[in-house]
Amino acid sequence: MAVSTPALHDALAELVGREHLLRDPAGLARYAVDGLVPGVVARPGSGEEVGRLLALCAAERLAVVPRGAGTAQALGNPPRRLDLVLELGRLAGVHEYVPEDMVATVGAGLTLAGLGAHLAPHRQRLALDPPGGGPRSVGGVLATNASGPLRFRYGTGRDLLLGVRFVQADGTLTWGGAKVVKSVTGYDVPKLLVGSLGTLGIIVEATLRLHPMPPATRSWQVGLPSPAAAAAFLAALVDSPLQPDRAVLLDAVGLRRAGLTADPIALLLSIASVAEAVEQQGRALEALARVHRGQAAAVAETAWSALGVAVEAPVLLRLASEPRRLLDWAEAGWAAAGRLGVEIAVLAQPGHGVVEMAVWGSPDLRHLGQDLVRPLRAAVEAEGGSLVVQRAPVELKRSCEVWGSINPEVLSIMKRIKSEFDPDDVLSPGRFVGGL
Amino acid sequence: MPLSPQVLRELERIVGAAGLVVSREGLLTYECDMHTFYKGAPEAVVLPESAQQVAEIVRLCRRDRVPIVPRGSGTGLIGGAMAPEGGVMVSMTRMNRIVEIDFANRCATVQPGLINLWLSQATREGGYFFAPDPSSQMVSSIGGNASTNAGGPHCLKYGITVNHILGLEVVTGAGELLRLGGKAHERPGYDLTGVMVGAEGTLGLVTGVVVRLTHLPESVKTILASFSTIEDASETVSAIIRAGIIPAALEMLDEVVIRAIEEGIHAGYPKGAGAVLLIELDGPAAEIDAQAAPIEAICREHLALEIRVARSEEERALLWKGRKEAAGVFGRLTPNWLLQDAVVPRSKLPEIMRELQAIGARHRVVIANVFHAGDGNLHPLICYDDRVPGELERAKHANEDLLHACLRLGGSVTGEHGVGLDKCESLPLQFAEADLNFMARLRRTFDPDSIMNPGKLLPSHPACGEGFRPAARPLPSGTWI
Repeated sequence: MAVSTPALHDALAELVGREHLLRDPAGLARYAVDGLVPGVVARPGSGEEVGRLLALCAAERLAVVPRGAGTAQALGNPPRRLDLVLELGRLAGVHEYVPEDMVATVGAGLTLAGLGAHLAPHRQRLALDPPGGGPRSVGGVLATNASGPLRFRYGTGRDLLLGVRFVQADGTLTWGGAKVVKSVTGYDVPKLLVGSLGTLGIIVEATLRLHPMPPATRSWQVGLPSPAAAAAFLAALVDSPLQPDRAVLLDAVGLRRAGLTADPIALLLSIASVAEAVEQQGRALEALARVHRGQAAAVAETAWSALGVAVEAPVLLRLASEPRRLLDWAEAGWAAAGRLGVEIAVLAQPGHGVVEMAVWGSPDLRHLGQDLVRPLRAAVEAEGGSLVVQRAPVELKRSCEVWGSINPEVLSIMKRIKSEFDPDDVLSPGRFVGGL
Repeated sequence: MPLSPQVLRELERIVGAAGLVVSREGLLTYECDMHTFYKGAPEAVVLPESAQQVAEIVRLCRRDRVPIVPRGSGTGLIGGAMAPEGGVMVSMTRMNRIVEIDFANRCATVQPGLINLWLSQATREGGYFFAPDPSSQMVSSIGGNASTNAGGPHCLKYGITVNHILGLEVVTGAGELLRLGGKAHERPGYDLTGVMVGAEGTLGLVTGVVVRLTHLPESVKTILASFSTIEDASETVSAIIRAGIIPAALEMLDEVVIRAIEEGIHAGYPKGAGAVLLIELDGPAAEIDAQAAPIEAICREHLALEIRVARSEEERALLWKGRKEAAGVFGRLTPNWLLQDAVVPRSKLPEIMRELQAIGARHRVVIANVFHAGDGNLHPLICYDDRVPGELERAKHANEDLLHACLRLGGSVTGEHGVGLDKCESLPLQFAEADLNFMARLRRTFDPDSIMNPGKLLPSHPACGEGFRPAARPLPSGTWI
């Protein structure tokens, strides 16, 4: 650090108040990122305070990692440096909400559960439900582009973020997008921020598109006898007039981990609409399941909240490919599990080609990089897909690149963008693709 | 500055003699888009046949700092596809093929010049369509739709173009030929596809597009509701949204427009009504039947004069023909007009419509309305006659007042048409200097020498706001909004 620590802490305390600085070593250890313990944690109370903090950090060349609820800090390469963790939990206000507009502007630190509670009386919701996402912060979910079963109908944060207030590396408070549901004024800056993992700017406020809470919802677990049957059922489902709002595919391990009924493989689906349509589509769904030797059983809403547990593993991989290859990649995961003597739970997003693999029980993690991540990644990248190590102990992260390879020319533009907006590498240095 | 003979020779070497337009008459076709106020012909038009040719063109232009203006079908409404500084226009009309339809992955790969509607026609038998449906869809290109992030009536339910673009092949202003995104729905790194969509050719040229295909709905219901006043119609829109129903489309037409449509197209809209709502529901049959009842009840509560449900595909098509070709009949209304595309929060619709009428009265101009009411995306058409001294000025004042009113209510300058040359002066109304500066720097990372569509999208450029002169003749029919 360029200034002596006490002087720096005094300057930080002046900006956010001494009670919002954390300096005791035991407390700081809880904010470690991939084993790197920050020198201080600051909890700003407004976007302006974030701006002043970052201006100070930029002047002192301090490395800053933003943090929402802290549930996804495992994502990304180990940071090159870490001086300060910016904890955004105090930015939890609902700044604007006119139910008739179905738009809400909220602080980045607000949790999904908190937002949901605010919207529920108006029978509206934010259609983003990453597994185990209730305690997660809006800003964190956007910065990591996390999504869940509702993606099947509503897409991801990319489709739901209308406007964004963020702080650039030099402390400049900046706004992009609009507060209305439709706008093409200027560049789509919100899209640039979604999934950028706090490397271009720190999201402090989000304007979100909301959806009406459907009048009726029912959920089913469609158990299927084999991966082939699941693939056929899935293809028929997306090609049918059925319009589920949520869909997720789980294998036997995933079902067991989530505490759901045992099946060789199953789809968890829900249909949300007016009651008559839910009933009619439900019957059609059950019939379609029978055609594919499947069994559709009604399940409670709580089945969905169990999904988070299914992916609570020490290692979590996220593989994205052509949607039609979903089951093929799941099978590749199962084959590897047998070969390596580890347990793998598969949780996949049908229609989007995303397969999450949660891995338990590997004694030698480097082994996992060599024998699981690298060959699987090579195969999926050869088809234009990707494999990201979402969560892993730092040894595994170091033994196999977290993000995989990016086309060098595309990466060179990303590098130009990063160096334009964060030339001194203040924001989450090294955490993103290609060491950005 | 005229292009040097050497540059022209090199352009010809890249695209062939048949792909190069340099004659005065030939260039006239390219001097404007559908916003015919802004005129500026390029020095040359090139019609490449491959992405490699596009990349060569950009590298050549970058070497000599020649401005490049991309162009699809030229149906834009913002002066985006015209050349205020001359230079080279790159027209994508020869790159208009469907490369692949991939039903298993529910996507298609197309060249940028492909006409929007052709893709839906080609995928209909397989049970799919391309959801973005700008009113120009029978002539506008998918590359143009992507570059302007085009909307359309059905984006109320299905989202705008960016929600349907999975990947792009682009040539950046730096001359790099890149594939961004693709058939996989996510990939690590910054979302450059998302940034490129809607960039209006200021970051680079789109040479290929991977689009999402959407399953055709099981059933469709189109309802026409007429009202004696625009206030009743506006309150109806707000009430429908408030009830938690999001139709596939929710369009409003006012009395002036209804009359012109009936004289020109005979779509069967009720003459004499103060406003008409065109409401379309699509999806599972049981769902739309259950939604139609409350919608009809809301219409009746707001004193609808008539509620009519299209009984056949022909009736439905006719109702939509009236809406989609509305702008084509404006020639019947007025010799000249200014068109806006501002957006207001949807709860503010009744308020902005009252304000709009007051502004029209204050400046003594007729303002006609046909727009995407469900999104709050207005298309006020401010009528004037440039042969009458002072009318253009009054129209411009009304235009400004209206834009300010929309932004005061928390709106946006443009909902779907884009910024182009037409609206770049207005961006500071919506964005602070820091925000604009961020965008300008973002632009530079793609286009370091500022050759891509200069003078468009951002206000800093001196050409912005200049070149505004009334067209010598009325606007052509066959304009789409």
